[in-house]
Amino acid sequence: MTTQAAAPPLTLKYAKTIGIVNNGLNGRGFAYPCDLAVSGDGRIFVMNRWDKAPRVGICNLDEDYVGEFGGGYGKDAGQFTLPVSIAFDSEERLYVTDEYLDRVSIFSTDGELLETWGAAGSGDGELNGPAGIAFDPDDNLYLVDQRNHRVQRFSRAGEFLGKWGSHGDGPGEFNMPWGAALDSGGNVYVADWRNDRVQKFTPDGCYLASFGDPGSGEGQLHRPAGVAVDGNGNVYVADWGNERVQVFAPDGSLAALLRGEATLSKWASEFLAANPDEKVVRDKSNLIPDLPLHLSSPYQVSSQTEPYFWGPVSVKLDGQGRLYVTETNRHRFQVYDVA
Amino acid sequence: MSSRDMEMMAHLMRRAGFGATRPELEEHVARGYEATVEKLLNPGDPHNLPDDVLRRYHVDMGESRFLDTAGAYWIYRMVTTENPLEEKIALFWHGLFATGYAKLNQARSLLNQIEMFRRVGLGSFRDLLVELSKDPAMLVWLDNNDNHNGAINENYGRELLELFSMGIGNYTEQDIKEASRAFTGWTLGNAEYMVTRSMKDSIWPYGRISWHFDFREWDHDDGEKTFLGETGAWDGDDIVEIICKQSSAAEFVCRRIFQFFAADEIDGEGEEVVADMMRSYFESDYEIRSVLRTLFNSDYFRSERSMYKRVKAPVEVVVGAVRIAGSYREPTLEAPQLASQALFMGQGLLMPPTVEGWHEGDEWIDSGALVERVNFAAQELRNVELPGVQDIIYRLAHMNGGTLTPAELVNGCLDLMGPIRVSDETREALTGYVARSGDVPLRDDDSAEESANRVGEVLGLITATREYQLA
Repeated sequence: MTTQAAAPPLTLKYAKTIGIVNNGLNGRGFAYPCDLAVSGDGRIFVMNRWDKAPRVGICNLDEDYVGEFGGGYGKDAGQFTLPVSIAFDSEERLYVTDEYLDRVSIFSTDGELLETWGAAGSGDGELNGPAGIAFDPDDNLYLVDQRNHRVQRFSRAGEFLGKWGSHGDGPGEFNMPWGAALDSGGNVYVADWRNDRVQKFTPDGCYLASFGDPGSGEGQLHRPAGVAVDGNGNVYVADWGNERVQVFAPDGSLAALLRGEATLSKWASEFLAANPDEKVVRDKSNLIPDLPLHLSSPYQVSSQTEPYFWGPVSVKLDGQGRLYVTETNRHRFQVYDVA
Repeated sequence: MSSRDMEMMAHLMRRAGFGATRPELEEHVARGYEATVEKLLNPGDPHNLPDDVLRRYHVDMGESRFLDTAGAYWIYRMVTTENPLEEKIALFWHGLFATGYAKLNQARSLLNQIEMFRRVGLGSFRDLLVELSKDPAMLVWLDNNDNHNGAINENYGRELLELFSMGIGNYTEQDIKEASRAFTGWTLGNAEYMVTRSMKDSIWPYGRISWHFDFREWDHDDGEKTFLGETGAWDGDDIVEIICKQSSAAEFVCRRIFQFFAADEIDGEGEEVVADMMRSYFESDYEIRSVLRTLFNSDYFRSERSMYKRVKAPVEVVVGAVRIAGSYREPTLEAPQLASQALFMGQGLLMPPTVEGWHEGDEWIDSGALVERVNFAAQELRNVELPGVQDIIYRLAHMNGGTLTPAELVNGCLDLMGPIRVSDETREALTGYVARSGDVPLRDDDSAEESANRVGEVLGLITATREYQLA
């Protein structure tokens, strides 16, 4: 752990929840969302991974559902099989990784397929389960190559620029890594999923630090999936296996811990207004119940406790002081104001 | 290591598990029969494909909303576990306490029930029945959420006695009413909301909310009750205690275990084994592990009287073929079709047809189901790319200098898929088929691929034999 100047105190204030489960092939709501990206005009692009109808849904903070795109489930151009992560480059072209197809698909914000690249394998530039992606200011793409246990760097056209990492649990080694993020200095943070830590590297892949160690205590991580870094160097981690979000200060100390506090989204409220039989009994229910011992794992608690995060897979910051936490199993995201 | 030892171990592993590969059998035989029985009865870390890996890949396995992926999750466990009896006993209790998705629309809670069977299914029958009585899926399945102080619903109380523990003829209608009174107030948390959602199959607004037990003291009848001749202010735990000490309960559970693990029909000598199992039941304070130990170590189980005396259940067909073939050891996009295949054969996991469970034995087989059973198993075992099939080919290639006569190939395949003992007529038919293309040179570079495919064909044909379809 390198020592850095302490960041200002961090406050995270719950703002709202956006989402509702959608079990149809299209329309308002989400279906196993796995990541989101916010465009310059504030639109929120949500990647839905459900194999019956994977798609990118678009909404805004006012909870207007404004569109969606994607060619459905499959292997053809524009289709998705197992999409993982999405990110914008500097020209607002949306990149989507697909861990089954071993490819990156690039769309305009209108949903037009612009380009695809990627080939399966373990050689330079080849992919085996592409997962998290993040751009540096020069539009170099850092891509987490999950089953090759490494990070690769590409031009935005897919030209191989570099790589680091191999399978293991030492510094600079990975075990099925997932999410990635860059800080303002271009340093790269990787959610080293099955090593229960987040690793920090220089832009060239030199190991700098590690955040978290295995466990469920404060400051410990269990299968971290997503990572984001704010302008002060605070590291936000989607602590997926512990069903929570933790924020580490630059010096590695714990700055914040969120368990989730979802409320009814606009869409959820409209559903309950249209289904008063459910609303009446829901209003009398305790949605944060006490549970028996055999249901005390974070997963089981979240499965029974609707306001809590369940499957928090991605954390994203929008540059406007907001944190977005995407929850796969609850088909929604929670928004927090960062101060 | 005699062939008899191998055959007996294969028999044990088909019954206490889902069959075993040759490397697994060699390990078990080296350990010894009784020691392997103990290992099965006292499972350690199952080393199954981890939940986190599955949930990352199969996105629905987190919420467990869909029946096919929930079933596939369990099948992954059966395929990759090193504790097969843990899964087999869960399958046994699932068939006996048959709780189904159709009424509940709650696969996560059904999987929690299966996990409960893993946790306590080899322990005390008393603990199991208490946990079952508190299981939210069961509570809704048999309407105990509608069982109130002063307004009883007898459904759970009746089935507990009739289908789950004693059998008809061993209690009175009054006993059912008294048992039901004792279970008043045993319900699930937020019962009204959860049941409303369940009845409407509502997933909104944020997907399924899993269920947990809740005791509503204000709704519990704590008055005096007389149950099976004993009087007191009984609650559900007391009812279970009184049930478990009945000889009829011991006989009920031991007969069902015998029929699931030893033979579809209980003959005269089988009755003697059941009596021994009942003695173990009482001597061990109702421990299922002890009952199974008595059965597995009995002369009856270890003899021709038990071997091939059960028709494989569809789940055994699916999991057995996959385990031998070595497929689905990693998350695989097609995994949900495994649950669908078992359904097509007549056994939908987490979806038994009625509260009585599946009709087993010969009733598993009809012309449609048989085609499904053979097609699935043959497709797996014909696939020479799969690691388990490749291991069989490798072992065959190292017999007799690598070139096998048709008879040697058939004998080798039957041995490595089981061993499976088939009739002379079947063996001759298989040999005749292979003989049409002559000997099988497995180590000849020019013909190795063709020979490997011929092995695959024989393995596929063996799945159509009567003996393969039996456990």
